[in-house]
Amino acid sequence: MFPQQVHSYLRDFFLENDCHIVNESDHYITVQLSIDMDKRIMNRPFYWRYLESTNGVPCPAQLTLITDQTKLDGNIKGEVVHFGSPRLNQLFRATKELGAFVQMFENVNHLETKTILTPWLAVNYKVSYYCDQTKEMLYSFGLNLMTGQLLDGFQESLSEVDLVTAMPENAFELPYIIKPIRALERLNVAIENIVQQDDHTWAEEANKRWHKAQQVLEYFYDGVEDKPESYEMEKQALEEQYDPRIKIEVINGGLFYLK
Amino acid sequence: MIIERSSKWEEDFINKLESDGEWDSWKLYNMSYDVVKTNLITEFSGLQSPKYLPNLTPLTHQLEAAETVIERMNGKAILADEVGLGKTIEAGLILKEYLIRGLVKKALILAPASLINQWVEELNYKFYIPVIAYKKNIQLDQYDIVVMSMDTAKKSPHREAIYAQDYDMIIIDEAHKLKNHKTKIYEFVQSLKKKFCLLLTATPIQNDVFELFYLISLLKPGHLGNYEMFQSSFSASKHDLEHDEYLRELVNQVMVRNRRQDTGIEWTNRQVQIIPIQFTDEEREVYNLILDLKDVSSAFSGAFSMITLQKEMCSSKEATYLTLNNMRQNCGDQEEEDHVEGVIQKLMALEVNSKAEKTYEIISKTTDKVIIFTEYRASQAYLQWYLNSKGITSVLFNGKFKKSKRDYMKHLFKEHAQVLIATEAGGEGINLQFCHHVINYDLPWNPMKLEQRIGRVHRLGQEHDVQIYNLVTDNTIEKDILDMLYVKIDVFEKVVGELDDILSAL
Repeated sequence: MFPQQVHSYLRDFFLENDCHIVNESDHYITVQLSIDMDKRIMNRPFYWRYLESTNGVPCPAQLTLITDQTKLDGNIKGEVVHFGSPRLNQLFRATKELGAFVQMFENVNHLETKTILTPWLAVNYKVSYYCDQTKEMLYSFGLNLMTGQLLDGFQESLSEVDLVTAMPENAFELPYIIKPIRALERLNVAIENIVQQDDHTWAEEANKRWHKAQQVLEYFYDGVEDKPESYEMEKQALEEQYDPRIKIEVINGGLFYLK
Repeated sequence: MIIERSSKWEEDFINKLESDGEWDSWKLYNMSYDVVKTNLITEFSGLQSPKYLPNLTPLTHQLEAAETVIERMNGKAILADEVGLGKTIEAGLILKEYLIRGLVKKALILAPASLINQWVEELNYKFYIPVIAYKKNIQLDQYDIVVMSMDTAKKSPHREAIYAQDYDMIIIDEAHKLKNHKTKIYEFVQSLKKKFCLLLTATPIQNDVFELFYLISLLKPGHLGNYEMFQSSFSASKHDLEHDEYLRELVNQVMVRNRRQDTGIEWTNRQVQIIPIQFTDEEREVYNLILDLKDVSSAFSGAFSMITLQKEMCSSKEATYLTLNNMRQNCGDQEEEDHVEGVIQKLMALEVNSKAEKTYEIISKTTDKVIIFTEYRASQAYLQWYLNSKGITSVLFNGKFKKSKRDYMKHLFKEHAQVLIATEAGGEGINLQFCHHVINYDLPWNPMKLEQRIGRVHRLGQEHDVQIYNLVTDNTIEKDILDMLYVKIDVFEKVVGELDDILSAL
């Protein structure tokens, strides 16, 4: 992410969360936080607890974030934010929490005839492989709640679609045949199948490294009757270092009514 | 294989559906997906960290070192670059990489007290790794990444507090301090769980090959076999080349060592000279009287104290006097004491210090800055006085100075004085690239100390060839020290690898 991308990210994030922009150039941005956003990112629970118990007038903070210090003119004081900075990571986490569930409809109001919209359940997954190394994969699934058809790359396919948050007037939705809870089960099976059928040489390799390291350790303590605590400690450390693990996380998901 | 997953999102989603609650913003939904996509680590190999560090431009050898440690050494390694090539940067890159990949959450960094602030600053500002310096009242469970001095860490109650944490990564700076396996700090580190571990030292062998054995046994016990096996195969008494090569290969599996010339950076040269010093007749007489003391009194029978006295006599009468006067008090009877008193009087009557004169001669030939290293505080003070009497300004430096005083002394040296006179302890943690003359007024026994000294000036940013003058007094113990240094350098080069010149070639 380049400074320009970070800048527009911050802009979008705050505007979308009802924080208005007090001041801004291409290289910095000053925002007036909403009460909710202050509570979420400013890390001052005692202030808010005090204020609420005394019925005081809330005064959420203003935040100045500098996205490109090298191009800044004038005396702007603020926090420097870039890809990798703790503040941006915090906002990434907030974005994840605030953008977890949606329900969207395809906008068909420009069409003359009444249109039927088909319900889809979408879930975006992140799959991580861990040993002493890591690899991550992203899967975006959509399941047609009428037919059971499953699509991968669903999120990307939505980028062309005009979506709105309420049912368009000249559209009507089909009641789903497959209940969302059953659809979720199907998606879970699908993602697990993909993971299981993947090439897991990485895990075998990690196990080999683990085994080899374990042998070296045994060699060090060869012939020692009462192995000291440090032996168990090392053994434990090797397990944590190499033991292959897989993690599946949901990024977000929702219901989509599409033409 | 076990698949870890949480059903929390699904439960919340179903609740939302059933309660007909409010939905989240479509824009944030997309942003969230895009963030994950941008940050996705699509390959097991390769470094992610550089793209998170827009304000840092690591050098090629630093990136390669980080990659090697992660991919070939599985995150357990000795970083043994020559002084001044940026071991801290390499360690920072590795730590950052593991943090990004989610493999490390908690990390402990142990460093000499004088380098703690530097670590905190570099990690915070260059690597954006939030880290704090440990202080008494800090609760370790509330901070993920902490820098602590080794001396603090090994003591109660800090030691217990550390053991109670579950650290994923341990980084130890100046790790040659762990060369002795009988020390408390060694024991402490040995009992620490080391999932990922970096040991940083430019000098993994200082005196003998066992130091390296113990260092590697901390990192990967068994990698060099156990003690008995190692001793029978590699101890100095059974020296043969094949074994050396085998050992070197094993060592290279856990150690990254970049040399200046491997870095692709233009380095200035080192010009090392041995400057022979001839004692005056009077100095020679006192030196010999000191040698004879072991036959005069049992107080002088200890080899160690005799060696100290001889070394001091090669340095200055001021240094010699302090030790000699102390030892006089241990003499058995009045006669012995009187004899020593006589030697002291002869010592104090000396009017010429040949070495100091030579030192002045070297300094007076240049208008550049010069650093003098001596082993003795008394010689340090004497040299300052002597140079001052010749119209040469100097500042003193030693390792016990606080950071602010060090910085001030460095400033004074840079702006006002021609000469900096440092004691041994001044060797670490100060960078003086603006100077390129180093006089080793006394030689240490340990060649790596010489390397550390020279490393203060011969580092990134040095624009001139570095002139090194090793002063050695003829027909004294300094000649033995010199021979010993050559032997130790030889062991180092056989096992670890080539070493930049610190003595001139034989």
